[in-house]
Amino acid sequence: MSTSSAPTLSATDAVPRGLMKRVLARLPARVALVVIGLYVLAGLIPWIGAIPRFPQQYSPLQLAGERAVQSEDSYSPPSVASFGRWFGTEIAGRPVIWRLMCGANVALTLAVCASLLTLMIGLIFGLLAGYFGGWVDALIMWLVTTISSIPWVLLLLAMVYALRNVPILPPEVVGGERRPLGPLAIIIIALGLTDWVGLCRLVRGQTLQLRSRDYISAAVAMGAGTPRIIFRHILPGVWHLVIITSSLGVIAYVQAEVVMTFLGLGVTDQPSWGRMIDDAKLELLRGVWWQFAAATAAVGILCLALNILGDALRDALDVRR
Amino acid sequence: MAAYLIRRLLLTIPTIMGIVLITFLLFNVIGGDPARPFAGKNPTPESLHAILAKMGLDKPRFINTTEPLNTQFFDLVRFKFPHSMRYDASFWELLAERGPVSLTIALPAFFISLGLQLGLSLISAARLGRWPDYAITAVCILLLALPPVSLYYCMQWVGGAWLGWFPVAGWEDFPYSLKYVCLPVICAVLASLGAGTRFYRTVVLDEVGQDYLRTARAKGVSETDVYLVHLLRNALVPVVTTTVTQLPLLVLGELILESVFQIPGLGGLLVGAILNNDYGVVMPVTYLSSISYCLSLLATDILYTLVDPRIALK
Repeated sequence: MSTSSAPTLSATDAVPRGLMKRVLARLPARVALVVIGLYVLAGLIPWIGAIPRFPQQYSPLQLAGERAVQSEDSYSPPSVASFGRWFGTEIAGRPVIWRLMCGANVALTLAVCASLLTLMIGLIFGLLAGYFGGWVDALIMWLVTTISSIPWVLLLLAMVYALRNVPILPPEVVGGERRPLGPLAIIIIALGLTDWVGLCRLVRGQTLQLRSRDYISAAVAMGAGTPRIIFRHILPGVWHLVIITSSLGVIAYVQAEVVMTFLGLGVTDQPSWGRMIDDAKLELLRGVWWQFAAATAAVGILCLALNILGDALRDALDVRR
Repeated sequence: MAAYLIRRLLLTIPTIMGIVLITFLLFNVIGGDPARPFAGKNPTPESLHAILAKMGLDKPRFINTTEPLNTQFFDLVRFKFPHSMRYDASFWELLAERGPVSLTIALPAFFISLGLQLGLSLISAARLGRWPDYAITAVCILLLALPPVSLYYCMQWVGGAWLGWFPVAGWEDFPYSLKYVCLPVICAVLASLGAGTRFYRTVVLDEVGQDYLRTARAKGVSETDVYLVHLLRNALVPVVTTTVTQLPLLVLGELILESVFQIPGLGGLLVGAILNNDYGVVMPVTYLSSISYCLSLLATDILYTLVDPRIALK
């Protein structure tokens, strides 16, 4: 990792200085960063409450009434006539552009929460396994190998399947009513509980390497306690792994949401990109392609940007060496 | 060698036990009552119990005092899976019936994709930093970014509805199935192309600077042979890993692909089972694919010595 031959005496040497500067030296990475920033802004809009409320779930009666009133013209192709119609309106007449923003909101929630969960579990287990070794390491690595032998989609599926039956609180506390977790919360927990293994492995490897460095021995000799060594001296040295794993993790989370929604286990109570793509089942037959195209482009462009940023980060940090 | 194999075999045991435990915990302990989705609106305890009995789940989970081996947990260990209520068949019957259909799509797709991935990565490495490399990388990144569901719908729309070259979806028995196989196979190849090519490109690039290639060139070996004979053989190790670990999983088919194209394989079956909470299909698929993955990792370790004699097993 470090390029100098002199013994490294501080953990921060493990992460090259001026990381952001090096990443931003490339044009594609700069563009990618701007694009991701725009997505974050779009994702924040629904929270500000700037979006007009549209009923998300129609009762059969409402739907029948709506059909009678609007007959076939409930959807309309993209036009520049009004902001709501830039990307057209979908089959029930709701503007695609608002749904895109709601989808960005879901993706943002998913990305932030699932990454945090992954990061916490992966970091803690990785640091523990790498630092203590012995049976702690054996136990954690057993869990990691086991979880990584189960195909990811199937594990995710099993996890969602199981979590749907877990109430937030026991029925006697809530008052007899079994309130299950919300669909988005279930996906976030399932992603967090399954995706930490990759980060854990990386962090463990790096911790093992850092432990044998001179500056750790120096810290031990100076009487630093275990928590201090882990948090002050090792944690900064594994931070770059977290950055890269998270940037690539978000791609997996957004794509997983699409897959899960397709399988009927995804977000069902609010508009998401997965639902918009899933709606293509009904829409493409009637020639309504704009919602599908918009959602696909939204996912595609975000993943492209994250991929480019992730590559730039990896090059700047040169993890492979 | 023998000592290594025995140790490797012993190391696989805890992992397999872990898989059994995790699947069991997720489905039998945390997951809800597997009989509930099939018991109608107002189930009586008797009807629920009758369904559980039909599924073969009317026994203790872990500990049975009279017959110690007759528990749900040991059924899992012995590969005795619960009866599928939705399809009214045991999982093994379903596998025998649907597996071959999945394979007719998955096998050709896998090998075409592998060949293309290797070919494209070799071209990319041979023309490093020039336009073929950039073009291949760009296509791969694009394919990687696109959600597979969208890709399938697009291809279905373009190839099936717009151009009308292939049937949009469906399936018929063998001689006619060829017509239905094309579009799904193309889709499966495209979906796996991006990640694979990028991966093999890094593998090939690791080899490009090696001395043995320079020696080969100095001997007067043609540039094509340098890549196709000398380099490819040395890049075989990761190829073996993916091939061996992926092959057993192919029989399970691809969830989304089979569902979009309405192919009666195991993947499509699984989607139906998920939507209907059919425990008797989802659990065995998860369980079997994990175990087979684990065992094929073991097999790859043994195969490495055949592919690459330099790897000494210790």
